[in-house]
Amino acid sequence: MATERPLVLPGDVIPPSLIPTSANPNKKQQPLRLGPGLRHIPPSDIVPTVAGQLITVPHKNSMWVEYNSSRYTPTPSDLVIATISRSGPDFYYASLSPYTANATLPHLSFEGATKKTRPQLPPGSLVYARVTLANKHMDPEIECVSSATGKADGLGPLKDGMVFDISLGFARRLLMARSKEEGKVEVLELLGEEGLAFETAVGRNGKVWVSGASDAKGNEGVNAKTVVVVGRALQETDTKRLGVEQQRKLVKKLVREMR
Amino acid sequence: MTASTLPEAALGVLPRADGSAKYSHAGYTVTASVNGPIEAQRRDEHPYEAHVDVIVRPAAGVGGTRERHLESILQSSLTQIILVKNFPRSLIQVVLQVEDTPENDYVNTKLVQASLNFAIMPALFQTSVLALLSAGVPMRATAAATAVAVVPEDGAKKIVVDPSPRQIEIAQSVHVLAFTSQEELLLAESEGDFTVKEWDDVYETAQKICCRPASTKEGMEMVLDEEDAGGPDMRHFLRSTLESKVTADLHWK
Repeated sequence: MATERPLVLPGDVIPPSLIPTSANPNKKQQPLRLGPGLRHIPPSDIVPTVAGQLITVPHKNSMWVEYNSSRYTPTPSDLVIATISRSGPDFYYASLSPYTANATLPHLSFEGATKKTRPQLPPGSLVYARVTLANKHMDPEIECVSSATGKADGLGPLKDGMVFDISLGFARRLLMARSKEEGKVEVLELLGEEGLAFETAVGRNGKVWVSGASDAKGNEGVNAKTVVVVGRALQETDTKRLGVEQQRKLVKKLVREMR
Repeated sequence: MTASTLPEAALGVLPRADGSAKYSHAGYTVTASVNGPIEAQRRDEHPYEAHVDVIVRPAAGVGGTRERHLESILQSSLTQIILVKNFPRSLIQVVLQVEDTPENDYVNTKLVQASLNFAIMPALFQTSVLALLSAGVPMRATAAATAVAVVPEDGAKKIVVDPSPRQIEIAQSVHVLAFTSQEELLLAESEGDFTVKEWDDVYETAQKICCRPASTKEGMEMVLDEEDAGGPDMRHFLRSTLESKVTADLHWK
């Protein structure tokens, strides 16, 4: 990983020394990959468009600007939590963020769905979906099934539970493969260690769904207290920018208050 | 209020908005919220670019023609720095609430002639740029604005940066200039009698304030402090404000 992470503002000049070049002659020359927050002005200018830290990964030949915001812009293959707003003849219309154009979710893009067996989703129900098409000139499209394998892979309607809003940066940290080491979020593991049983689904659009699982004594149904504690722990970790040690304290405090 | 006070700013003051900023300088305090890109109303929808909607609310009373005029100027300059082509058919909404002004807003100031309130423009402009940066709206460049007045003094003419309401009253001409971080002139509004030479002086003074060359190398802090170039260094101010925001956001890195 790069050690130097300079602050960039929109329109700043990025020093050429920071732009990674594929130095490894054994490998085939990989094209430079630009992530969010950067804009390429032909022929060779790379200009930041948002304020954040410039991150470069030389061995992957990629660079992006790391920043936090709260308005989601759809990007293909993002996992999102969408709210169904209405159903059309062939599609559900689902909202990814407030006051933006609805995304379309085909009736048949659920696991094993046919015209007759498709899930009936009333307005307001939640789905965990993947963005398949995101284009500035068109409304986004999402799916609840992997179109390659026909399997749901954990996507689909979310029953019970509750949705909490979080910032986009925090959602990204929660979705990291190693969120504990790289993202410094441990709050979910800590809550699990305290004996709470719950399920979560994190949407890249700044939403997290929490549901209480049936506990060890076989009590079915959602444990509302657990859901609220988990949601509050996540939201406080996000808004108060808690470090790992503070997360530990917060979890202790919330669990004590709950019991 | 004197112009010597340093600008102050806070980002993310409104938790529900996508981005927000509070800025105070030279007696003016303005809070801004930015929401966007969101769905535009049918009549504002443009097939190829985002519509930038600016709303200015005065400290007292409801907005009138004066506010509409300020809105139209801000709207056209902000459209230039936001990458509007990235968000076709959408809306980026900037709401600016004036909280405090050095003049008394409660006195009924019926204007004989419609004139632009020049002194408030820099505060409005700076606040909207800060709020846009806090919302993470993609932009071409950052920008800064300043107000400059040419005031007659003992027979000679003096250039005053961030003039007070009293100085504006006696001034021969008042100017507002904004520059992008690439040192391009973004906005130039003038009022009163002035010569080309005077305007050139005003331009130079404003450019010094908005685009003082930033010392990008670390460890080489601003050395210009001792010799005051007549006003605050807006570019350095913007950068340090954003720096604290970004480090707070990315505390986990």
